[in-house]
Amino acid sequence: MNGAATAPLLEAVGLSKNFSIGGRLSPGGRKTVRAVDNVSLQVWPGETVGLVGESGCGKSTLGRCLVRLYDVTSGQLRFKGEDISQYGRRQLRPIREEMQMVFQDPYASLNPRRRVGDLIAEPLRVHGRRSRAEIAARVRELMGLVGLSTDQLERFPHEFSGGQRQRIGIARALALRPKVLVLDEPVSALDVSIRAGILNLLQDAQAARDLSYVFVSHDLSVVRHIATRVAVMYLGKIVEVAPVEQLFTAAAHPYTQALISAIPVPDPRKERSRRRVVVTGDVPSAVNPPTGCRFRTRCPKFATLSEDKAERCINEEPARLQQEVDHVAACHYAAAEEVV
Amino acid sequence: MLQVSGLSVSFRSEHGLVRAVDNVSFDVGEREILGVVGESGSGKTISLLSVMGLINDPNAVIEGSIVYKGRELLGLPQRELRHVRGKEIAMIFQDPMTALTPVYTIGWQIAEQVLTHNAVSRRAARARAIELLSAVGIPNPDVSVDRYPHQLSGGMRQRAVIAMALSCNPSLLIADEPTTALDVTVQAQILELIQKLRRDFGSAVVLITHDMGVVAEVADRVQVMYAGRIVERGAKRDLFKAPRHPYTWGLLDSIPPLDGPRPRRLKSIAGMPPSLLDLPTGCAFGPRCRYRFDKCDERPGLAGSGGHDSACFLSPDARAAAWSGRLLDNKAVS
Repeated sequence: MNGAATAPLLEAVGLSKNFSIGGRLSPGGRKTVRAVDNVSLQVWPGETVGLVGESGCGKSTLGRCLVRLYDVTSGQLRFKGEDISQYGRRQLRPIREEMQMVFQDPYASLNPRRRVGDLIAEPLRVHGRRSRAEIAARVRELMGLVGLSTDQLERFPHEFSGGQRQRIGIARALALRPKVLVLDEPVSALDVSIRAGILNLLQDAQAARDLSYVFVSHDLSVVRHIATRVAVMYLGKIVEVAPVEQLFTAAAHPYTQALISAIPVPDPRKERSRRRVVVTGDVPSAVNPPTGCRFRTRCPKFATLSEDKAERCINEEPARLQQEVDHVAACHYAAAEEVV
Repeated sequence: MLQVSGLSVSFRSEHGLVRAVDNVSFDVGEREILGVVGESGSGKTISLLSVMGLINDPNAVIEGSIVYKGRELLGLPQRELRHVRGKEIAMIFQDPMTALTPVYTIGWQIAEQVLTHNAVSRRAARARAIELLSAVGIPNPDVSVDRYPHQLSGGMRQRAVIAMALSCNPSLLIADEPTTALDVTVQAQILELIQKLRRDFGSAVVLITHDMGVVAEVADRVQVMYAGRIVERGAKRDLFKAPRHPYTWGLLDSIPPLDGPRPRRLKSIAGMPPSLLDLPTGCAFGPRCRYRFDKCDERPGLAGSGGHDSACFLSPDARAAAWSGRLLDNKAVS
């Protein structure tokens, strides 16, 4: 976290995003999915917030809400102190220059019929006022920045490998010198040996300027490497937020403990000595989440609680309890544990 | 139990012959879990698909020999192969949704396989399906048996596919990235299930994956593939304790650690995997290798001792120096 900063750059306060599914003809009629449910999160200048959780937990939806790719159902979204949650297209336009997004699939996010130079120039043209020469110079600079050669400017996306395409996506996102970058699983589609290069590139780009990242990923080892703080999501709620070291040495929420302990480690000796926090079953439906604590149906701790203690998990939604400085966990019976 | 020797798989394409698997030999013992690791295009899936006789591309050229329990599978007519496939050797794939037909219940699909390979009544086949669903940990198997695939979650679907693969008690199960599409907590459950298979059913398993972590967790032996060739293989303990091939080092280094100090930068492998149309004449990893020297223009053979082989010309001393230098390097960057 940046010591000089006194206010978060981007802040969600009680943010919710609902989707409606089904219609008149589907069994059970129209239903509402609370993909993101009353979530609060701060992003400070220069930091990387890791957003982790399993599929369907709402991490990508939250990421897209943060850059207003989705409209927000309720709650506030403050950028530099200004509530932009209800801004329209025109009002958002100048703000979009400062918030950009990198997508997971570099095969789907680039127009196959346009040349690379053109693709990188696009954001510069859209957010106009630049001369042709200025744009050309900036495109060359960006190509170098992301480790591509300038003689590839005239090529089409299909002539590049997955890793190179992701570099193009990053160049596009960096073109306007944004303040915040939301990266949605940016390395998940890439082979292991290519991943490391992209992560290094992201770290270099951040070090060069005071750039903030929101790094959405299901891969906790990647998040541990790149994040300064981590927020763990489960069924639309943030269940734990902590500085990265703290999270991996003293996770307090049983779900976080289970997530960390389920990652296979490429070292058979360590693997044998690790403690396992096992969760059973699958994530319940977000249409009809469990009452009280949403994790209780799979929670290993809940299973061991006495009946009167367990009742609290069933009836009362846990508040975010302070564990340490900057470390909160939403569990009635949170207790720090090292599970790596 | 399974002996693959000199297996090569090539595809004729408009740009020439693509060598997807190049002279690969390996075997799988009874009750053994063999982990096959590699990145996309390394030939790991293709080599096991040919074991199943599932490459029916008319442009494929398959050479070598695949002997299962003393019987040559390569060149066997489909009709006879069908008795082996499903009954003796079963395979599960990465995406359980494409392995299941959406228009029948999972119970029907499992029973169909039981009926194909065994002379039993429809009722007995259904009972067997319920039994299998409960063996793979699907809750309320007598209700789930009448569910359609779309009514199940990803983890449950993969379990149903595993149940189907187990329906005839195969002695060899080939699992191609069975957990890649799943979340980590569900992945842990499926990996546990695969280990249970060996314990309870005595099956041997070939686990194809790109994840060194998964291999470290469940395999007995590991085989690392690169550009259609095996570059290193050995017992899990030996291979992770002292890996011998620079590519294996690179793979291990590019995974960020879960404990200890965070490296400031990750070490990545330079360059990209070679095009299979245009493989280097010598070591396929040569152009990306930090330890490359003159000899690497020749093609290294797989050699080693104590069941731990690697295809690399580095002398044991040079290797030890590089390996310990790498450890120092790692300290320096952290």
